[in-house]
Amino acid sequence: MTLSNETILALYRKMLVVRNLEETHGKFLQEGKIQLMPHFGTGQEAVSIGVTGPLQQKDILFGTHRGVGEYVGKGMTTKDIWAEYLGKQTGLCKGKGTMHLCDPNLNIPGLVSSLGSDFSYAVGTALSSKMNKSDQVTLFFVGEGTCNQGDAGPAMCMAALWKCPVVFAICTNEFCELSYKSEHIPTEDVAPRAAGYGIPYDIVDGQDIETTYTATEKAISHARSSKGPYVVEYKTFRMALHYAGDPGGYVKSEDVEKWSKRDPIDICREKLLDRGVLTNDQDQKLVSEVQAEVNMTAKEAMADPDPVQSDLFKDVYANKGVF
Amino acid sequence: MNQTITFTQALQDAMAEEMRRDPKVFLLGEDIRLSVFGQTAGLVKEFGKERVLNTPIAENAITGVTIGAAMNGHRPVLELMFCDFTMLAMDQICNQLGQWRYITGNQYNLPVVIRTTVGGGFRMGYGHSQSLESQMQQAPGLVLVEPSNPYDAKGLLKTAIRSDDPVIFFEPRKIILGGIEGEVPEEEYTIPFGEAAIRKEGKDATVVAFGFMVYEAMNAAEELAKENINIEVIDPRTIVPLDKDTIFESVEKTGRLITVEEGRIRGGLGAEIAAIACNDYFSILKAPVQRVAAPMVPIPGSPVLEDFYLPNKDTIIRAVKRTL
Repeated sequence: MTLSNETILALYRKMLVVRNLEETHGKFLQEGKIQLMPHFGTGQEAVSIGVTGPLQQKDILFGTHRGVGEYVGKGMTTKDIWAEYLGKQTGLCKGKGTMHLCDPNLNIPGLVSSLGSDFSYAVGTALSSKMNKSDQVTLFFVGEGTCNQGDAGPAMCMAALWKCPVVFAICTNEFCELSYKSEHIPTEDVAPRAAGYGIPYDIVDGQDIETTYTATEKAISHARSSKGPYVVEYKTFRMALHYAGDPGGYVKSEDVEKWSKRDPIDICREKLLDRGVLTNDQDQKLVSEVQAEVNMTAKEAMADPDPVQSDLFKDVYANKGVF
Repeated sequence: MNQTITFTQALQDAMAEEMRRDPKVFLLGEDIRLSVFGQTAGLVKEFGKERVLNTPIAENAITGVTIGAAMNGHRPVLELMFCDFTMLAMDQICNQLGQWRYITGNQYNLPVVIRTTVGGGFRMGYGHSQSLESQMQQAPGLVLVEPSNPYDAKGLLKTAIRSDDPVIFFEPRKIILGGIEGEVPEEEYTIPFGEAAIRKEGKDATVVAFGFMVYEAMNAAEELAKENINIEVIDPRTIVPLDKDTIFESVEKTGRLITVEEGRIRGGLGAEIAAIACNDYFSILKAPVQRVAAPMVPIPGSPVLEDFYLPNKDTIIRAVKRTL
């Protein structure tokens, strides 16, 4: 299945935004311009942008802590991301969530602090959509390491039992925090666990945006047509360490070399050049434009007001202060 | 017009009325259609299986389903059968549920009610008898409710279901299984959070008792009255928010404060109230605050030992006398 040139170009631009924003975040961290310790998703952009590409605005997304990919994919602006990441009063969460990005207008209910706590939230939102007789779908984006959490099993169990419109999108990036996946997972693939609950699954390449997009589109349309949950596993490679400041030393250089030949942004760029959708000059222009947008919105966000002391006590309860 | 109903019926009436009023309200939990203690028994007949949803045995995950449903606009009422099992869901309850509004910058309400039973005395052993209310005091953003009679149970549960804040609703098993009855008006009513009830007025000492301990305190009051000791018994009804004013006004009159809870003493509900008293009105206390609570041991299965473990009328009487 192939996507239209316009769609690929739009996805390509989003991948550039993600890569650039994360690189800029890393630079700001070194320069002391931001305090938020990031987890980057470098090399996984075709997964985060591919899984969110086919979602509609009304669809619900649970994202991960690893970079900004899925949030940009669902439509979050770089300004909104920077303002929240910087802990500003103008942030989506008024600076109280920072990495825990959330936006009800985009149907992103937020990011949990304990990996995998939200497996069941995705079942809950999907159950709610089903009770509302709506064709809204929930996409639960998760790493393979988090699939070892206790709630992964019961969440899939309930999603299957109640035929909830939810897609579990598993990004297998070869690493679980500071170790290779082989230290965490006894099998090559994670998705076949779905079969234990009678949930259909696919395992696909995570480097090619067309593949990730179309595989997700198929899963979403399954869920949207009341056929119940679906699992898709995307095989990729995390080029970044677990977090900025991670001691490192555990990544084999031959793996980095092998996977850097299949960089998702390079693959997509070549495709666009081959198809004559983009020239080298246009590409350069696009990259500069993205870089300018990321820098400009960062500058704007940095100039935004910080929260004030009284904000500390706001929004604990619906109407009152602090009990 | 009043009717006399059980505590269990009061809870069921509250849920049924709220489900009739608001189609977004639904119930879920393990075996709630049949219902082990009866609070939700039979509701499936009126509301159907979708709104009275039996779940798998997976407390943390079903609590998470509840949170997800609330994120999408539903108002779920979850039952976690025994409060001992809430410990399996503590990530959801203490890390997530109470904090979601705040960390999302007030963008997401989680109007969730978690009902759970508390208390021992039924020889159910160490993991089906505890009173773990105090474990949840540390989590910001939660409302903690513990009614002691049918009137409060119904009025407070209706308020809880309508609340835009997450509520943990503790139902004392001795009140449920004891079949305790009380008068409830036929017309609709709700009870606001944070308003204590004075169960008995008295001038000599203030006894603040939670849940089933209200009955033990009332029995203690009756015996103490024979010795001309008149205690005031306060039932806070909600643990968070706590009606500090009513407790203060009583202590201002009596100068003596005794707290009574069925849970364990260390870091308990009484510890918090004693700390407030020492901080805010130490100078009016005529005696050290006394805490009546369970000891720091597991709950033994032996009937004889469990009876030694549980606070009761006699331990309350002794504590009151220590302040006089």
